[in-house]
Amino acid sequence: MAKKQPLRKVDCLTCDEGGGFPVRGDGFSRRNFLRYAGTGLVASYFADVLNPNLLYGATSAAGVVASLHNTAKNCIFIFLAGAPSHADLWDLKEGSWTPSDFAPASYANGTIRFPRGLMPKTAEQIDKISFIRSGLAWAAVHPLAQQWTQISRSPTGATGAIAPHIGAVVAIESQLKRTPADVLPAFIALNSGGIPTSGYLPARYAPFGVTTAATGLSFLDHPEGAARFSTRWNQLHSVDTNRTTGGLGKKSTDMNDLYDQAKGLMDDPGVDALFSFNAADRMRYGSSTFGDGLLVAKQLVGGRKGARFVQVTSGGWDHHSDIYDKAVPNSLYGKCAEFDPAYAALLADLSTTPGATPGKTLLDETLVVVLGEFGRTVGQLSGQGGRDHFLRFSAMMAGGGVKGSRVIGKTDSLGDKVVEHGWSENRDVRPEDITCTIYSALGVDYTIMRTDDPLGRGFEYVPYAKDGGYKPIEELF
Amino acid sequence: MRRENRVLLLVAVPLLSLGAGPKESCPLGGSAIESPQKQQTAIYRALSANAELVSNATATRHRGVRAPAAPVAPQIPQINFIDTHVFAKMARDGVLPTSLSSDEQFLRRVTLDLTGVIPDSATVTAFVADKGTDKRSRKIDELLASDAFVDRWTMWLGDLVQNVSAATNVRLYYQGRNAYHAYLKDAIRSGKPYDQIVRELLSAKGDSWAVGAANYVTRQIQNNGPPQDTYDNLASHSGEKFLAMPLVCLSCHDGFRHLEQVNSGLASKKRSEFWGMAAFFAKTQTRVINNADPNNPNARKYDVIDNPAGTYRLNTTSGNKSPRAPVTGQSSIVSAAYMFNSEAPRSGELARDAYGRILTADRQFARATVNYLWKEMFGLGIVEPVNAFDLARLLPSTLPAGSTIQPTHPELLEEMTTTFIAGGYNLKSMLRTMANSSSYQLSAQYTTGGWNEAWVPYFARRYPKRMQAEAVLDSVVKATGVGITMPVLGLGNITRAMALPDSVEPIRRAEGNFLNQFGRGDRDDIVRSSESSITQALSVMNDSIVTTRIRKATPNSTMSRILASTQDPGAITDQIYLATLSRSPTASERQQGIDFLRGGVLNQRSEDLQWVLLNSLEFLFY
Repeated sequence: MAKKQPLRKVDCLTCDEGGGFPVRGDGFSRRNFLRYAGTGLVASYFADVLNPNLLYGATSAAGVVASLHNTAKNCIFIFLAGAPSHADLWDLKEGSWTPSDFAPASYANGTIRFPRGLMPKTAEQIDKISFIRSGLAWAAVHPLAQQWTQISRSPTGATGAIAPHIGAVVAIESQLKRTPADVLPAFIALNSGGIPTSGYLPARYAPFGVTTAATGLSFLDHPEGAARFSTRWNQLHSVDTNRTTGGLGKKSTDMNDLYDQAKGLMDDPGVDALFSFNAADRMRYGSSTFGDGLLVAKQLVGGRKGARFVQVTSGGWDHHSDIYDKAVPNSLYGKCAEFDPAYAALLADLSTTPGATPGKTLLDETLVVVLGEFGRTVGQLSGQGGRDHFLRFSAMMAGGGVKGSRVIGKTDSLGDKVVEHGWSENRDVRPEDITCTIYSALGVDYTIMRTDDPLGRGFEYVPYAKDGGYKPIEELF
Repeated sequence: MRRENRVLLLVAVPLLSLGAGPKESCPLGGSAIESPQKQQTAIYRALSANAELVSNATATRHRGVRAPAAPVAPQIPQINFIDTHVFAKMARDGVLPTSLSSDEQFLRRVTLDLTGVIPDSATVTAFVADKGTDKRSRKIDELLASDAFVDRWTMWLGDLVQNVSAATNVRLYYQGRNAYHAYLKDAIRSGKPYDQIVRELLSAKGDSWAVGAANYVTRQIQNNGPPQDTYDNLASHSGEKFLAMPLVCLSCHDGFRHLEQVNSGLASKKRSEFWGMAAFFAKTQTRVINNADPNNPNARKYDVIDNPAGTYRLNTTSGNKSPRAPVTGQSSIVSAAYMFNSEAPRSGELARDAYGRILTADRQFARATVNYLWKEMFGLGIVEPVNAFDLARLLPSTLPAGSTIQPTHPELLEEMTTTFIAGGYNLKSMLRTMANSSSYQLSAQYTTGGWNEAWVPYFARRYPKRMQAEAVLDSVVKATGVGITMPVLGLGNITRAMALPDSVEPIRRAEGNFLNQFGRGDRDDIVRSSESSITQALSVMNDSIVTTRIRKATPNSTMSRILASTQDPGAITDQIYLATLSRSPTASERQQGIDFLRGGVLNQRSEDLQWVLLNSLEFLFY
């Protein structure tokens, strides 16, 4: 191991603030990248799903000892795609532009100002929530920043193309702790089409994508009945001997694995109820697709059938125009009317449901994260009555060992520059730090570098974390 | 063609099953043919001698394997230059190719790759019975001339240009989408040279609902930004799709300190050079025509026109890109210049006509295209990812010190590029050359000893891939004999998924949902994917789209036809295998089938057997 070198910054030439990618020594050098990239990318898709090395190839580098809180069993990851306006919501900045019906109010001894008018129900749960206000995204382009947030690295960087979603990392890290009762995939994505998947990891760890419906999952029952299905399933496995031999390559063995998981879902009579919901619950969560997602997410983590990381995605937060126009269905008012009852009901339900450990609530055991891919421009609205892309962002966390009513960081009067970073690292909170925080709460060692990656360069769960480049936000716990 | 040589040589190859003889193993692997022990020792030596090919993980996996596999160098006929390069590289690195595919395996593969659906039973039987030595070439020609070929490659081209009625940035509406689809389909059907297609797309003018090609420009309209955002979209889209390079990066910043790790060839390029590309489109205007559809007051179409006064100005601070401003001493008006050779429009030439002319004359345009086609046929590009070419790493002769070459077969890529250009950018002709090569026709089963995953990019065997979404549905329909109808606005009922005008239709219908599960993408922000999922398994096992079609009671089903013709379990097994997996069962599979059919009610067990084969990995992976 080379002597640890100081972090240096490479200035980003076009981004208007922040300042680039941390680079340490020559670890990120072009020479190394090219050496590996030319040989390896191809093989990434052909790793053997049955190779136990995939589970044991991880090593943690010397130098930095991970700070693992291990306070959460589950994570509900609420992704607001399009990027919500931080300065109107989680880091409210009042000015002449602020509509009066935002009705800002103070909480937690005046440390939190919150637009109660926009989110009255969330306001009632505010004692459970902590706010991260010194967040800074790396890119102000949706696809790039969205992927960045979900794979915790640059999608265009060396390992971007092979990187799994952070939920897939949680899934593979929970694999060895699974019991026969854990029939649900560890990573479930509700109403979240098109998100990153398992990268180079086996498809078993990819998000199980589900479009929520009151009637639950489709195709859990075999139309010809259970007896016929059993006959068919058994014959399938005696005829198709390729299923486990790998004779057709990784994708086919992955598929066999997925068939086994599908069968597990069909066989467990309790699964369908976790994905179904009734009208009363639906109404409590606001009667929206987003609300349905949070309702099902709550049921999944409460169902104790192996779901560890549940993502719910809500689109439509890209308010370039008419952000305050109530007549526009997807204005900030419309989006908040959707978000508020669902999120508040989720926190309320989790906090009143017993956890797996005696004396704990489900909220104690479930980290609930809310964030978008970046923030929005601050101050007066643009000519189109909207807010454009902006690197400064805020996030919310609750449960899973995160204390409520904490505020990490303070921005200036507009929500632009940081006045106080608000955490021990004394710098902006990057998406990678958010990931470290999630991993730490879940007991996943974020300093791990796996050695089974197809590029042969080592795959860091969070790049640079093993060298101290990124860290969990200790002040939240 | 030296097709006749093949048969002579094949006789000398052991372990090969070609023709109508009884099959002793599944052509896709599984019950591998036993090989002599002495051969196993030899491959072990071959493996050791090429230790650098073996990744650590693979080596670990091989450790402790009792009998390392056995090498026989099958004598594979070299049909054309593709084989020269592919087999030379294997020989150079000590990798042994597998043997050639069986007729049945070849037929299923080439039919799926060229036409997107499995062959029917009668076609398989006739092909196996055909004694002609040139029958594979003839079959390729027949498939290339089929209607199904047109649909499958129209789907490919539609994916490339992202034809869809509603995208994030703009709506073409079903009328625009259909007009665009009709244009692309006609282009494929008529065998229009690919460079001409692209020039027409870049140059088209007129009503977007009437002139299909005009939708290339309208598809890139960025309504929530200044017009420069649309010009940038056109340059980055054409760069990514037609040149297979991530020019979009340069639309926000220089390559320097950004792209070194991504694309060393673009790392030295500047945002200002990208603007030069986008400036080719600054004289293009899209005029909105409202109230275009009496049935939909929101629908709008566009008139694509040329405005000679248009300029690309560096004066924006809002929209989807970082601010555009001239650097000191630079003009605030950008001149059109092709960033890879600085070529500009000729005097009197319309700027975007010039862009089409210059872009299609760029060798990278042809190179990107043959790589796309190669990936479609071989499952893995010579350059991967196929849309991320690095111009600095293409040729060994110009490779910067310390860099590695990007293509797995650089000389082959260049020769294919040259051939494609010389042949007039003829897609069909390029596909014909690929399909006729022995490289393409290798077995999916590795018969030459123990398999090493590191040999995948050598194309040492056919590496099976999952059928694309549309092929899954169309093949279920063909295997079961029960047709499908999918209503699409403006086009009536479509009866094959591959003939759908986009990868979103039929919206909110069971068939559309089924196709979505298989990762067809949406031609907007969800890319087509060959990933597998639990939902796919649930769909094939339990979706009534599949299970109803298997039933004997369903009119016209394969099962009703088979059971009306015979009650003999052996014959039933034969026919179900033929209809579903496009091959006869092996002797042991046949006996297994007979035993299974005799173990219960014959009609039910017959249905069960087709369900089993539809859910076998061999159905989905070919």
